[in-house]
Amino acid sequence: MSVLAYDFVVRALLAALFTGLAAPAVGTYLVQRRLALMGDGIGHVAVTGVALGLLTGTAPLLTAVVVAVLGAGAIELIRARGRTSGDVALALLFYGGIAGGVLLTGLAGQSAAVLNRYLFGSISSISTGEVAMTVLLAAGVLLVAVGLAPQLFGVAQDEEFARVAGLRVGAYNLLVSVLAAVTVTVAMRTVGLLLVSALMVIPVATAQQVTRSFRATLLAAMAIGTLAALGGVSVSVFVRVAPGATIVLLALGGYLVAYPVGVLLRRHARIRRPFEDPAEAWALERDHDVDHTTADEDHGHQHGPDCGHPAVRHGDHVDYVHDGHRHAPHGSHYDEH
Amino acid sequence: MRDVAVELGGRPVLRGIDLDVGWGEVLALLGANGSGKSTLVRTLLGLVPRVRGTASLFGEHVEDFGDWQRVGFVPQRASATSGVPATVAEVVAAGRLSRRRPFVPLRRADRDAIATALEVVDLSHRARDGVSTLSGGQQQRVLIARALAGEPDLLVLDEPTAGVDLVSQQVLADALAHLVGRGVTVLLVAHELGPLAGLVARTVVMRDGRTAYDGPAIDLFTDAAAHHHERNEHPHLDHTPTVASPLDPTTRSRP
Repeated sequence: MSVLAYDFVVRALLAALFTGLAAPAVGTYLVQRRLALMGDGIGHVAVTGVALGLLTGTAPLLTAVVVAVLGAGAIELIRARGRTSGDVALALLFYGGIAGGVLLTGLAGQSAAVLNRYLFGSISSISTGEVAMTVLLAAGVLLVAVGLAPQLFGVAQDEEFARVAGLRVGAYNLLVSVLAAVTVTVAMRTVGLLLVSALMVIPVATAQQVTRSFRATLLAAMAIGTLAALGGVSVSVFVRVAPGATIVLLALGGYLVAYPVGVLLRRHARIRRPFEDPAEAWALERDHDVDHTTADEDHGHQHGPDCGHPAVRHGDHVDYVHDGHRHAPHGSHYDEH
Repeated sequence: MRDVAVELGGRPVLRGIDLDVGWGEVLALLGANGSGKSTLVRTLLGLVPRVRGTASLFGEHVEDFGDWQRVGFVPQRASATSGVPATVAEVVAAGRLSRRRPFVPLRRADRDAIATALEVVDLSHRARDGVSTLSGGQQQRVLIARALAGEPDLLVLDEPTAGVDLVSQQVLADALAHLVGRGVTVLLVAHELGPLAGLVARTVVMRDGRTAYDGPAIDLFTDAAAHHHERNEHPHLDHTPTVASPLDPTTRSRP
């Protein structure tokens, strides 16, 4: 454990831990609202914030938070009000953000290398003050994202229902945007503004391969994000690789492992699922005389216990799966069921 | 609702709507596609702004209304899924949001209400399954359970039977009967009533943004819509387009 004796390693691990927890927590709501790329957009806008900090000589983390929050609010406003091509409006904001950032950095007389630290992260050069701010902001994000989970879930799941349930939908949507903005700036030193969206989205995508509840997805995504963040930092301590990129690639590796598992699980669940309440459905079909469709195919043989076609119980009779159809004997012919 | 008019994107969608729904009434709003029936209930709930007129819930203007736990809403949706997996119980739990305070975990009353709502729609055995694994009809039942979980006095359902299998329609009818028995007011938007016909006491038919008929449920909307071939008491009405022209002279209405 000798590497832990180095202060910068401890600082890096601490920042990674909180970033890894907070980013997927917010990312879950973004993915739920199908706004997976919103983190990326806010990241672009935050570049201008960083540059503003460099230009004015204030802490880039502070200016980035302010600008990112403003940008997130603007994105949310465009999304909520703008009826025509919201994605184009968002694109304008994204590229405006990154262009403004590059321009301001140049004006500040700083080199691209300085900006690179924020674009791709440089967790090893993080200062004690920055760690404290990262931990504080991330803890705040976590408190809100987990504490208000039922409300945020309800709003993201069905806005109209949430509105009729008396929730202030606009305020909650804005809250998620602000959380995303704060998370982006928190993760800026860890994985960098251009890669932060990955840490928000990939753990969620990985988790939902194997989970079926929202709660489990949220918690698993946070666990995966933490593992990837700590793992990436640890690897970069021993090998000369960029920590931010390592974190993202580790998370992606996790996704590649989880994906086939998810495919198998879903396939298993699909096969195991019984045809819906066969007895009940059959009784209703009989009572209402619906769905009487005769199978047109020429039957070279009689379906029976030995015909080789899979048999499925269907209420009071047996259907035979024939070329993907369910055939039920009915007098001299077969019905499609 | 008093003298309500609504425009969407500058086009008039509702005109001169006057509608009162009394306590414990079971009212079905019928009409062709685009006749404004969904817009009407959404206006009543304050989801759509009006250009004139007033909409009130429980005697209070909808803009000032704060007692949302008294209202249960089943929006018109194709599915109950979102971008992240969720279990049936989690979706139904969202129905308790009108009664919960932020940062307070589920209480015992919440859990009981969720369990009861799931029982009413006959999905207790699927509570821990992901909603995406359910059929369309079952997902519709989940959305209904979500509205029931809030224990509302007024239940508003927007096309709950559209594209829903017969079993689920029957479960829905039973669930509504259970609620009506408890004195809940039901406002229902539908294309055809099917198994719900027996419950509906009053129908309002919309045409081109106006109410074209308001009165007791008439045969046209009930028997013919249910496709009861073997119990066909009105053969001449069989397979008539259900709500195409309810006030045309050929209609045998019994006011």
